[in-house]
Amino acid sequence: MAIHNSKCEPVQVKSRRRMLKQLGIGFGGIATAGMLGRSAPVEASGGILSATHHLPRARRVIFLFQSGGPSQMDTFDYKPELNAKHGTQLPAEVRMGQRLTAMSGNQTSLPLVGSPFKFQQHGESGIWMSELLPHMAKVADELCVIKSVHTDAINHGPAVTLVQTGSQFPGRPSIGGWISYGLGAENEDLPPFVVMVTKDKGGQPLVSRLWGSGFLPSKNQGVRFRSGKDPILYLGNPSGIDPQTRQRMLTALRDLHEMQIEKGANPEIENKISQYDLAFRMQSSVPEATRIEDEPEHVLKKYGEDVRNPGSYAANCLLARRLAERDVRFIQLYHQGWDQHGNLVKSLSRQCQETDQPTAALLSDLKERGLLEDTLVVWGGEFGRTNYCQGKLRNDNFGRDHHPRCFTMWMAGGGVKGGINYGKTGPLCYNIAENPVHVFDIQATLMHLLGIDHERLTFKYQGRHFRLTDVGGKVVHPILA
Amino acid sequence: MFHLLRISLSALFFVAALAQSDRSHGEVDFNRDIRPLFADRCLHCHGPDEEKREGEYRLDIREGAFAVLDDHRAIVPGDVEASALIERITSEDEDERMPPADSKRTLSAEEIDLLRRWVAEGAKWDLHWSFRPAERPEAPQVTDQSWPRDEIDQFVLARLEAEGLEPGAEADRERLIRRLSFDLTGLPPTLAEIDAFLTDERPDAYGHLVDRLLASPRYGERMASLWLDAARYSDTYGYQVDRDRRVWPWRDWVIGAFNDNMPYDLFIQNQLAGDLFPDATKEQILATTFNRLHPQKTEGGSIPEEFQNEYVADRVQTLGTAVLGLAFECCRCHDHKSDPITQNDFYQLSAFFNNIDEFGLYSYSTDSVPTPTLRLPTQEQEKELSKAKQAVAEQVACAEGLETEQRQAFEKWLHSSERDQALKSTEPISGQVAHLDFGGTAPHGAKSIPGQVGKGVQLSGDDPINTQVGDFRRYDPFTISLWMRTPDEKKRAVIFHRSLGWTDAGSRGYELLLEEGKLSAALIHFWPGNAIRIRTQEKMTPGAWVHVAMVYDGSSSADGLQLYLDGAPAPVDVVRDCLSKEISGKDGDRIKIGARDRDRGFSDGGLDEFEVYTRQLSPMEIDALAGGTQLSAALEKSADALSAAEREALWQFYRLSLDPVHKESLASLREARKAEADVHDLVAEIMVMQELPDRRPAFFLTRGVYHLRAREVKPETPAVFLPLPKKTPRNRLSLARWLTDGDHPLTARVAVNRFWQMLFGEGLVRTPEDFGSQGEMPTHPQLLDYLSNDFVDHNWDVKHLLKKIVQSATYRQSSEVTSELLEQDPENQLLARASRYQLPAEMLRDAALYAGGLLVERIGGPPAKPYEVAVSFKPVDHDKGEGLFRRSVYTYWKRTGPAPVMMALDASKRDVCRVRRSRTSSPLQALVLLNDPQFVEAGRHLSEKLLHEHGTSDTGVLAAMFRTLTGRRPTEAELAVVEKLYQQQVAYFADHQQQAERYLTTGESAYDDTLPCSPVERLAAHSVVAASLLNYEGFTMKR
Repeated sequence: MAIHNSKCEPVQVKSRRRMLKQLGIGFGGIATAGMLGRSAPVEASGGILSATHHLPRARRVIFLFQSGGPSQMDTFDYKPELNAKHGTQLPAEVRMGQRLTAMSGNQTSLPLVGSPFKFQQHGESGIWMSELLPHMAKVADELCVIKSVHTDAINHGPAVTLVQTGSQFPGRPSIGGWISYGLGAENEDLPPFVVMVTKDKGGQPLVSRLWGSGFLPSKNQGVRFRSGKDPILYLGNPSGIDPQTRQRMLTALRDLHEMQIEKGANPEIENKISQYDLAFRMQSSVPEATRIEDEPEHVLKKYGEDVRNPGSYAANCLLARRLAERDVRFIQLYHQGWDQHGNLVKSLSRQCQETDQPTAALLSDLKERGLLEDTLVVWGGEFGRTNYCQGKLRNDNFGRDHHPRCFTMWMAGGGVKGGINYGKTGPLCYNIAENPVHVFDIQATLMHLLGIDHERLTFKYQGRHFRLTDVGGKVVHPILA
Repeated sequence: MFHLLRISLSALFFVAALAQSDRSHGEVDFNRDIRPLFADRCLHCHGPDEEKREGEYRLDIREGAFAVLDDHRAIVPGDVEASALIERITSEDEDERMPPADSKRTLSAEEIDLLRRWVAEGAKWDLHWSFRPAERPEAPQVTDQSWPRDEIDQFVLARLEAEGLEPGAEADRERLIRRLSFDLTGLPPTLAEIDAFLTDERPDAYGHLVDRLLASPRYGERMASLWLDAARYSDTYGYQVDRDRRVWPWRDWVIGAFNDNMPYDLFIQNQLAGDLFPDATKEQILATTFNRLHPQKTEGGSIPEEFQNEYVADRVQTLGTAVLGLAFECCRCHDHKSDPITQNDFYQLSAFFNNIDEFGLYSYSTDSVPTPTLRLPTQEQEKELSKAKQAVAEQVACAEGLETEQRQAFEKWLHSSERDQALKSTEPISGQVAHLDFGGTAPHGAKSIPGQVGKGVQLSGDDPINTQVGDFRRYDPFTISLWMRTPDEKKRAVIFHRSLGWTDAGSRGYELLLEEGKLSAALIHFWPGNAIRIRTQEKMTPGAWVHVAMVYDGSSSADGLQLYLDGAPAPVDVVRDCLSKEISGKDGDRIKIGARDRDRGFSDGGLDEFEVYTRQLSPMEIDALAGGTQLSAALEKSADALSAAEREALWQFYRLSLDPVHKESLASLREARKAEADVHDLVAEIMVMQELPDRRPAFFLTRGVYHLRAREVKPETPAVFLPLPKKTPRNRLSLARWLTDGDHPLTARVAVNRFWQMLFGEGLVRTPEDFGSQGEMPTHPQLLDYLSNDFVDHNWDVKHLLKKIVQSATYRQSSEVTSELLEQDPENQLLARASRYQLPAEMLRDAALYAGGLLVERIGGPPAKPYEVAVSFKPVDHDKGEGLFRRSVYTYWKRTGPAPVMMALDASKRDVCRVRRSRTSSPLQALVLLNDPQFVEAGRHLSEKLLHEHGTSDTGVLAAMFRTLTGRRPTEAELAVVEKLYQQQVAYFADHQQQAERYLTTGESAYDDTLPCSPVERLAAHSVVAASLLNYEGFTMKR
């Protein structure tokens, strides 16, 4: 499957965990960037690629998906001119006849709304952020803020599906599915692709195809960690079955299976035995990995009070770090509620309040542990929001509709430059002024950082070589470290 | 014979009967060796896609490949040196070498060698195999005459002998009955059935068994579960909001069709076009739900055309994958890269499927079933309906019968003094429930302007004016009168409406709009397929005040809806006349003026004197509201002085406004209509296909984008095949018949291949979804052709085909395999053994429930909700009682969060058409089989059942348990293993009674505490053994 590119040395995927073990350092140990070693290939993993296409800069990804479409001009994209033109109509030469959603498309008036939030520059890099993000401000120098992201879809369903699967319509594998398919698991006791959804958030519904495997083998679908007693479906023994009983059941099963193997070649049974072994190991490795109680008080504090509430965004961020530490390849978080059609001031403030501290804590926590070096963190939603008001513009209240033509995402860690801005939007934050980045480009770049050429990780289905980025995608080279 | 291929067959040569596994020797085979290389590495730039073609050279068709180019030829048969193609693929110059470096496609040395040899051997070119009609090959001669039972075996054995292999031994009877029972009914045999088969000494015991299984109603359920994947069946709409929808009657139709052994051609015809058969039955129309099972959308703000376009495309793609085995996904946006299917073909094909009265979004705020629909009344409702209809007809007749009498009363009235009173009391006209004169402060968002009478208002278009009236049902007559002035010719503007919303509510309610400058009045259950709408023929004059009245008589017909302009009836076009269901929503049944959420309002429009009446006004009254004097003039005249027209108009006035007899008759008619409507509104509906009377235009869409309409297209079949005869109507029925013509090269092959796959785990073509040039070649091309023709010759008889295959020696082989054979043929392409693989999700669960007698067998009905739906990503409450234990084919399927156990066990997600499931092995499957309460509960039930049968004999229980779950008796060693586990657990549970109790109370059903000589620890220990065995490959694998 892997096609070797003569220009780049193929680099075999190396297990960080295994290496740490070799070095006598356990899970909790501190590894520095130097120890991770960027060149020494060791052995292949369980993915379809026997080796990465080129030198990977990240070994794993944490994708903090903010579902609903966070408002770019109220968080990262500072627009004083928009503030100055507050209340005036969206100029026709800015809109350029482009389509609006069927929600505000029939409005008679489209008044511009400035951001009611104060902006300031932060860190040595001087990255602008609004007052809604006081904690993120402290890690500004880690961020590569991409202000010129754009997408093709104008409504949630298609837009989320596009960001997560490379197509607006159902049926394709998710990013994590592709990564799992390509690179496999690094830690064989945990699934390579884990999904966590903030619990009890209303808003635009999420659907399981977003972490599905499409036409890829179904083992590549994301495993959703639940917030209840069983992080994985039926992970725990049924009541009345203690570990000794389980062990005896598995021993009997193994005995029976081995009798079959003795009768003749039987790779299916050998595989089955190993899957049961792994399931048994997961019964302890997953609870171990998800045991937030093990974290020291100062770490819990860092993520905020909410971290003690299982299933909260803060708890999921901390879990993401624990899973990154344990070499889970792709960790996908979802946080809903960014769909501020109305009541933006209050509602957006609440969203930021829920996510600002945990997100910042995750970055600094990863950094302190030397994990940020080879962990790519991606933050963003499916589209941005309009610079004009949806519905009536009132003094104390307004809303913004969906806006696919420009929005902000950021990346941090694993191979991207920290403390930079990339791309620019126009003065009214409606169109892109410089360096447009399509969501396919984000996907291509993410894959590139993992050592994968997005055009070469393909799967032949129905006579076509499908890939995550469909027929698009360019790696955004200027942001690479 | 009706040849389906347009491309000349003269250039064909016949492929060697046996494909060679080692390609370095023997003659190069174009279809097997060369075409896939071209398809994969070259056709991206040198294929059928005109836009992407480089240098005008094309390799997808013979004429292109061998064309003379300037001064050279790419391929010179027999002359490697003169062939530019070879030169280019071997060039040292990187700029010259093909494929180009930036394409990321390369040719290996072995592949280059193949191409070189192909040219050297004469560059034989052949039409892609699957586009040629299936041949009628003679069964080949074989050396071993004793093994073959029929032609299938001869084809298989010939190939094996060519490879120097021998077929496998026949599996023993225990294996065979288990394999057959699962394959044909989806459930394992019972011990009694096994014993009966083992002792059946009839010469055709096997045939009898096959017949018995094929006759079982379980057969239909088993077969349906495969077709549901292809049909992307789901009990919810999908996409994002994903509400429930009621489509299970279609699923039951499928089960019935298989059990009735409906011929496959008819099975396809009914589903694609059942509605178009002359005198189509309800069942045939129901079959067409197949085309509506794609995901549907309701997300706020979505653009309906975009999704309607998506639905049509899904129908075409599903047809492509499920019936033709061709991918139509690519050619939606551009010509196919490797197969001779063009973008034009796609849109011509989609034109067959866009001709129904549908809307791109389903209703968020109501539960309307998206049109077109079929009504499925119960027998009782059927009776009630005909009674209610009868009552309405009687009332109508009664009202008509009264007319003579009423006319006499009218004459009397004309000459009486009452007429004077009428003159005095015409102000106001009776029945008024609201009158907004806008004389005071303008409502929020509007501004006061000089109106028609005193002040009027100018509307903003964004702020509706609310009223407190308007809760009319479709059986209520009403009149709405107003003055309006449009500032410009509005493309679309809401004058007033009473609805929960526009597209978010399927427009349910009634409304008056401006559309393309014309007035448009409608009463709607679901737009467009269940509504009445009339539209004025003339446009409204901008800038002028016009009096408008919308008058409705309560009849649910377009005839009963009128528009008056300035007091006179306006000539209108009837846009829709098909209202048959309620027009009211849950709440919000109040008229709103001038704006609607997410719709286009009457911006800057003038409005005055908005009045609502709870009856149908007569023309003279409307004239009066418009400022006319017809009524007062007529009332003032003496009876004799009235013209005939005046007299008639006055009669209308008298009747509708004054006559007490008519009033009473109208009240009775309303009651009768209400009674009918009340029954109607409860009748279940299902989405189906129903052709529009006038063809809705279909378009070639540039890059597949819904609004980039390049040109109109008419329905046609793909050009690579022979076209439909000229005079055949271009509709779905013709298409369905064309597809199922016995000479069609694909339909039968694709079907036979899928049935083969269902029995062997893999098809003869291992890419059942792709018979195109990028798909795999058949492992046994002649066998596939032979079976396809046999299938068609036997009238597409599915049971005949299945029986033929399962009776072959090939099917009956043992699945045992030596390491040598495994190495030589790891994927079992040669069929020297039976395949073994994990049972599909449905069978694993059903077999577990069945073993312990938990499975509730009842065919059809609403979806069942087993435990697992409560722990899915979109949890819903699980059922109590039997709904927990129905066969898995009935499991509630929610697209955005499908049943998680089914998903873990590799079930298809049913977002889109799938004809093959992936088979994976993951620890998540182990966790499900070990810990899912339904498997625990199933194991306990099996133990209870066996404890009843075997009493105190634990060994008896264990041996029977092993045999029930695996279909064979345990060896001594195996029995020792389970006995040991049992003994350990009995001892453990004896010491841990509470644990035993807990284990036994897993699941909803109570455990049996009346078992003789069975303390809790015995039952618990046996249950643990049973639960373990449910994980044993002897249970989970098909062998």
